[in-house]
Amino acid sequence: MPAEPLLSVRGLSVGFHGAIAVDAVDLDVMPGEILGLTGDSGAGKSTLGLALLGLTRPPGKLLGGHVTLEGEDLLALPEDELRKRRGSRIGLIVQNPRGALSPLHTVGGQIGGVLRAHLPLGRKGAWQRAVELLRGLGLNDPARRAEAYPHEISGGMAQRVLIAMALGAGPRLLVADEPTSGLDVTIQAQFLDELARAARAAQSAVLLMTQDLGIIANYCDRVAVMQQGRVLAPMSVRDFFAAPPDEYSRTLLSLRREAPPAPPAQETPLLVAKDLSKRFTLRGSGKVLQAVDRVELTLHRGETLGLVGESGSGKTTVGRCLLRLVEPSGGSIEFEGQDLVTLKPAELRRLRKRVQIVFQDPFDALDPRWTAAEILGEALEKRDPARIAELLALVDLPATTAAQHPRSLSAGAQQRLSIARAIAAEPMLIVLDEPTSALTPLARVGIVRLLRRLQEKLGTAYLFISHDLNTVEQLSHRVAVMYLGQIVEQGSRVQIFEAPRHPYARALLAAHLAPDPARRRIDRAPEAALAGEIPSPVDLPRGCYLAGRCPQAQEACRTTPQRLIALPDGRALRCAPEAARAMNTEPTLIAGGVLT
Amino acid sequence: MSGAALSVETAPRTARQARDPLFLLGSAIVVLSLVLMVIGPWIAPYDVGRPTDDIAVPPPDLAEVPGLLYAVITGAPHEPIHWFGTDTAGLDVFSRVIAAPRTDVAIALGANLASLVLGSLLGLLAGTARPWLGALEMRLSDLVQAFPVFITGMILVTLAGRSFTTIVLTLALLYTPIYVRLTRAEVLTQRHRGFVDAARALGKGEAFLALRHVLPNALAPALIQASVTVGFAILMTAGLSFVGAGVRPPAPEWGLMIAAGADQIIQGEWWTSVFPGLAISLTVFGYACFGNGLERRHAR
Repeated sequence: MPAEPLLSVRGLSVGFHGAIAVDAVDLDVMPGEILGLTGDSGAGKSTLGLALLGLTRPPGKLLGGHVTLEGEDLLALPEDELRKRRGSRIGLIVQNPRGALSPLHTVGGQIGGVLRAHLPLGRKGAWQRAVELLRGLGLNDPARRAEAYPHEISGGMAQRVLIAMALGAGPRLLVADEPTSGLDVTIQAQFLDELARAARAAQSAVLLMTQDLGIIANYCDRVAVMQQGRVLAPMSVRDFFAAPPDEYSRTLLSLRREAPPAPPAQETPLLVAKDLSKRFTLRGSGKVLQAVDRVELTLHRGETLGLVGESGSGKTTVGRCLLRLVEPSGGSIEFEGQDLVTLKPAELRRLRKRVQIVFQDPFDALDPRWTAAEILGEALEKRDPARIAELLALVDLPATTAAQHPRSLSAGAQQRLSIARAIAAEPMLIVLDEPTSALTPLARVGIVRLLRRLQEKLGTAYLFISHDLNTVEQLSHRVAVMYLGQIVEQGSRVQIFEAPRHPYARALLAAHLAPDPARRRIDRAPEAALAGEIPSPVDLPRGCYLAGRCPQAQEACRTTPQRLIALPDGRALRCAPEAARAMNTEPTLIAGGVLT
Repeated sequence: MSGAALSVETAPRTARQARDPLFLLGSAIVVLSLVLMVIGPWIAPYDVGRPTDDIAVPPPDLAEVPGLLYAVITGAPHEPIHWFGTDTAGLDVFSRVIAAPRTDVAIALGANLASLVLGSLLGLLAGTARPWLGALEMRLSDLVQAFPVFITGMILVTLAGRSFTTIVLTLALLYTPIYVRLTRAEVLTQRHRGFVDAARALGKGEAFLALRHVLPNALAPALIQASVTVGFAILMTAGLSFVGAGVRPPAPEWGLMIAAGADQIIQGEWWTSVFPGLAISLTVFGYACFGNGLERRHAR
């Protein structure tokens, strides 16, 4: 590259009590580029990010090196000079947006505070500038929002406030450390879109640190891999995904867009849920929260149904209803010929083992006082050491694990133990409730492979609940999309991922950041996004729940509740206009008379 | 992300807690009080119930202490030594101070053990059984705790008769609500943990879940509280005897000793009250430090 680098790092090292966390790092960031930095947990990314701003904190210690920003060595500056550079020349966005905001001050005041520290602005001028920044980030009614306190705003808005704070004084370089971890996919995509756009508009460069290769593929110009404190030479995103330079990235990308093994063809379904509903009455107000609204599900032996949706869509409650860990308010669950909902407690206890569950937080799911052998023994009729050893081997855990307590295992190993406990009961169906969400990307790959292998071997059906679309794509044969307690679209993996029809499913899948630079979101024209925020589930619209946000909503949508319409291609769709359109483009199939 | 930083930070943290000096001091005092509870009366140099001929003898001067210690250790012949002096009846204060844990610590431990067992079981019931039962237990706890502990204790002991057993039972009744509340609160969080639902999905009954999964994981706060409450129970036992509502004289007991010496303090005979008073302060302080240390370790 011909241009002078904006930021040039040479030989930067940081140590912790003798252990080297950042090891002689050399790195150049060009003006206006988005440079991705990825690598396994503990590779030293965060430590490096903080060191760039001269924020290395005890027990960490700067061991040497230079950080040159536009020709000026930051680390050689005295502390008060360095502080002036932070925010005005080099900005930082960290994880956990709400934790980075002070709960005692309005967000406008906090953005203004940063501006006044670096720009010759009065209190009033800073406030106006803050409101302008928020308007620029796509907030409607920014003047009123600026007066809100952090607890009054949504997570997505808190992220935008952080962008405004970081970019407000026009820094040349922005360091963003896992800025979207824990956010829903649509908010994550929105945030990254805005970050990229705001950085481009301000001619700022971004150093984006993330473990998510989907983010790297969709937003970065170049990417560098960090492993054990060292940074490999950056390469262009296209080259990187064509030939990953290191073992870590190769492992993560090994499952890329690979279909799960096909399930055996089955005529009779294993489980049929009809009109499954769950209402919670809220204490105090007495309002009713419709968490699950007439959900229809069908699962066959050896098949995986992916259940996707944003937080609060009711997907976890559906999974718990299937085991009656949550009592359904209505509907039926026919499983192996019996209705689970009307079963008596004694019969239910007997049948329960046929459906098992694996939870999101593996540590929470294992009794901390029990050893692995005791945990597995609980699922068996009698505690048979040979069977326990066999189960551990089945999930690739060493036999020595049997005597260990959960806290001495890694999160990935804990999740394997959870899975072993589930399969110990020899169930026909396992509800997998976000089993990979609490894991590092590397552990996630291992769990996906394990789940695929167990399914092929044992023929267990999975209900795979997740908001991580990449993992859903790797595991599911069919996919159901939930929005506000309802299934809005259901179809095969290819149908949903390649050509979703429901406007919500389309918006959700558009936010899907596949680790594939061929369809980069940053280069795509923005699709018709959903307007506004999700309505409160206690105060739902009368007609279609999406009507208020849908770009193609018609008058009828606002007043008529939508029902799930089966399409001739095997999909089910909760959108009358879209279903009609689907029929019209395939006129030969209208004769089926599915649309009434 | 900061996995490396975290693992490095945790190592020195455990080391720092192991060196927590107050916790070590507290543990030492707790152990000493337990040892004295068992063997105190046997190792006392004088019979705690039989007066000596020396009436109201002050403790030896500080300057003489090394010489006297030397004499005791080497077995050299010496005058009878009253380390803490004697009271107006001629009883050896030192012997009575180290014999008293047999009463004070035993009552406090017994009362706490009883209330811990009863309270945690009731707390488990309150947290898992039908809501009305839990509510009833909470209101009963309110009722017990609505009255000042000391006054209620005094009245109950007086009504039921002043004996070792009634004091233990009274204190147990007064402390049970503490454990009910603590255990119930912890049960309410523990019973929604994933491993409880996982066991439920395996077809285990609710009683099994409550006793095998919920209770063992919900006991820690109650156990930590117990070590602090034992200290307070010692103070209460001594307090009850001091006002004449506890064990009967002439039993060696710190509160009784303070009461017996209280009249002589204005005549300059300070030792009869001051030494048992110090013993109480030190013991309560020790149990409190021990409890605090346990809590810090648990919270990590």
